[in-house]
Amino acid sequence: MNTFANNAIVRLEDVHLSFGQTEVLKGIDLTVNKGDAVSIIGPSGSGKSTILRCINALVAPQSGRITVGGTRVDQLTKESERIALRKRVGIVFQQYNLFPHLTVLDNIVLAPTRILGVDRREAEKLARHLLEKVRLVEKANAYPGQLSGGQQQRVAIARALAMKPELVLFDEVTSALDPETVGEVLWVIRDLVRDGMTSILVTHEMRFAEEISDTVVFTENGRVVDRGSPEQIFRNPDNPRVRQFVSGLSGHNAMRDGEGI
Amino acid sequence: MQDMNLTDLFVSLTDKVGLNYQFLATGYEAQIWRDGFVTTLYLVVLLIPVSLIFGLLFAACLTSGRLWLSAPVRAFVEITRNTPTLVQLMFSFLVLNTFVSNLVGGAQNNPLTPFFWVVAVVGLHIAALHAEAIRAGIEAVPASTVEAARGIGFNQLQILRYVEVPLAFRASLPAIVNNLINLVKLTTVGNAIAVSEITYASIMVWTQRDNVVELMIVILAFFSLINLIVARVGLWVERKLAVPGYGL
Repeated sequence: MNTFANNAIVRLEDVHLSFGQTEVLKGIDLTVNKGDAVSIIGPSGSGKSTILRCINALVAPQSGRITVGGTRVDQLTKESERIALRKRVGIVFQQYNLFPHLTVLDNIVLAPTRILGVDRREAEKLARHLLEKVRLVEKANAYPGQLSGGQQQRVAIARALAMKPELVLFDEVTSALDPETVGEVLWVIRDLVRDGMTSILVTHEMRFAEEISDTVVFTENGRVVDRGSPEQIFRNPDNPRVRQFVSGLSGHNAMRDGEGI
Repeated sequence: MQDMNLTDLFVSLTDKVGLNYQFLATGYEAQIWRDGFVTTLYLVVLLIPVSLIFGLLFAACLTSGRLWLSAPVRAFVEITRNTPTLVQLMFSFLVLNTFVSNLVGGAQNNPLTPFFWVVAVVGLHIAALHAEAIRAGIEAVPASTVEAARGIGFNQLQILRYVEVPLAFRASLPAIVNNLINLVKLTTVGNAIAVSEITYASIMVWTQRDNVVELMIVILAFFSLINLIVARVGLWVERKLAVPGYGL
């Protein structure tokens, strides 16, 4: 990992975070290189989503260093500095969280025009290009409520990409979807990763994580238990806990395979 | 001339069914009555925007998260919605207005008219009700939607403007329309401090003419018509803003 250190775009060092009395992160170390896809896996409640929220300053850790593309996130004190960071880091949520009162096109155009000050016509051009990428051009004028979960999630990805982020965080983006639409969302993410978009994914899609990741990180109880190549984590896990987790999930994965990812 | 003929025709026709509208043919009382309608309409047209502007302002204060903004507004909202508007109006006119008069050196220098006090008291009273409706609407915007907006890079004011207010306004619109219907009816409290809106003007007429029923019929029809229009416009706006596939 150290050999690629100069190429690191995200680095977390000994990050500790508590919500009140609950210790959520107990010393997280994580390095993500530019252009890499890193998957964070592990049982629910292990702090995976919180790691992502630390990276774009939606929550602040009590201690530890977080560096994103040269910015010391843990040292940001002003909201304006956090906003400047969030413009560079896209995030896609489990529940899509589109703006329900805006059309698909307006959902994508809102941030570039209002935050970056991009000309409306130019923003629309980019939005249509992104909709092509996520295969939803024909839904440009639909409202989120008229779309399936998978379609909404693809719009949410396009919305994040419209800000031309340096990296994108995916927070269990397929967990709320019915099995039939999971595939179409994973297809879009796979394309992004192949295009070299730096991506950090919190996911329960083990088969997918194995396929697209450069590195897989296994977390439990707020700690990184193991990390390595997908091959290492999924095929030859050294760590007994990882072995137990992966083998327990294999049946679930087999079922998903059948759904045609 | 045409008008006079129509009025005469109306008076004679209604007289045949036993309704006494003879005052309409006179100059003075008919004028008072007509002015009553105009004053009521004037109050309504003025009060609707006043109540909405202050309602939005109050709601912004209530949800600002800043105690020095929210606490005074919260206190005002509680007082105004828990006490009778008539009492508020009398208090304002008899106490606050007198206070102002003393400050400026006598009632003759006081620019504040009874009409002003009706607009202030009724407008702020309904604004308090709007504020509660809008506040509830803002708080009903899912935390996850707000988090997504923050995650994209919107600041607090942009989130309010582009996400929370548009959603909150849709959610609170039915309650706001109800408040406006109440507002129309509340204009009649002006009669307590001699603002010659329609009920005050009617009392002036019927004490002379003994035609309470005749005037009541018209007053009730008049308010029904205004509120029918308010409700219709409200419904139209609601439909105009309706989002396909979304519950609000």
